[in-house]
Amino acid sequence: MKKISIYILIIGLIGVCIGYKMYNKPHINVAEKPVDIALTATILLADFSSNETSANAKYLDKIIAVKGMVTTVEFDGEKTAISLQTKDDFGSVVCYLTKEEFKKSTEIKEGQEVVLKGICTGFLMDVILVKCIIMNSK
Amino acid sequence: MKILYAFFVCLFLVSFTNAQERFLTKKGIISFFSETPIENIEAQNNQVLSIVDASSGKMAIAILMKSFMFKKALMQEHFNENYVESDKYPKATFKGDIIDFDNITTSEITLAIKGNLTIHGKTKEITIEAVTKKTDEVIEMTGNFFINLSDFDVKIPSVVKNNISEKIKVSFRLYHKTYKK
Repeated sequence: MKKISIYILIIGLIGVCIGYKMYNKPHINVAEKPVDIALTATILLADFSSNETSANAKYLDKIIAVKGMVTTVEFDGEKTAISLQTKDDFGSVVCYLTKEEFKKSTEIKEGQEVVLKGICTGFLMDVILVKCIIMNSK
Repeated sequence: MKILYAFFVCLFLVSFTNAQERFLTKKGIISFFSETPIENIEAQNNQVLSIVDASSGKMAIAILMKSFMFKKALMQEHFNENYVESDKYPKATFKGDIIDFDNITTSEITLAIKGNLTIHGKTKEITIEAVTKKTDEVIEMTGNFFINLSDFDVKIPSVVKNNISEKIKVSFRLYHKTYKK
């Protein structure tokens, strides 16, 4: 009898540990994740403006590496938003960087070509990528 | 969604001829807060698109549900997958009229905005109050209001019923600037 209750206690403890771990599951670390889709800002925007529903299915929640020319770099505290040029006159691809990238982002100049990696959350006027990191810049 | 997109395109086309009249932000902030004795849940969206037409006093807001960032990854996952079903309903929108928009001044006043809020594919008419102020270049609007989850058909499983409030406080801060290409 005593043995059984000890087993139950152990199982219960393991359960609590797993539950606690799941509750505190860390956010996706973009830097460590492999790239799902690599493409240019122009193609990404064109896909969203031609058929938003299919683009949502294809790109949402995916780790995307997007290449493009920087049109604007805006700072809001330690948060940086980089807009990439596309062939479309109205829309662009806007990448919101993580705080850790703030220092690197201050060195980015308008007109420069960059590759940014982030998670796609969808399309409003622009395609939006969050939690972005700078992969390379020349 | 198509109608909304067409609406925005129309807005931009018009804004070329009438640049001073449209005010826009792509980086508005909307956050929500659920308070229960067990836990508080908070999420923030920094990529809110909002447009105010200063000639008619109309405004339109669109937000991406997946742009809400939570403190805990698990909360964010549950929110997107189970509660608001972001894959099926990726956006929330608000379209409305600012009542007595002509009264807006360079100092802060409170105005009511009446319009339709769509979340999770369900639309409800609401009236919210916003502290507003307008200069030649900027229209600033801040405020908060409450929404009921049941109005938007958001179902919370009974296991976590005590962790999530039925009434959710929504706060917004929109800093519109004149639209320039």
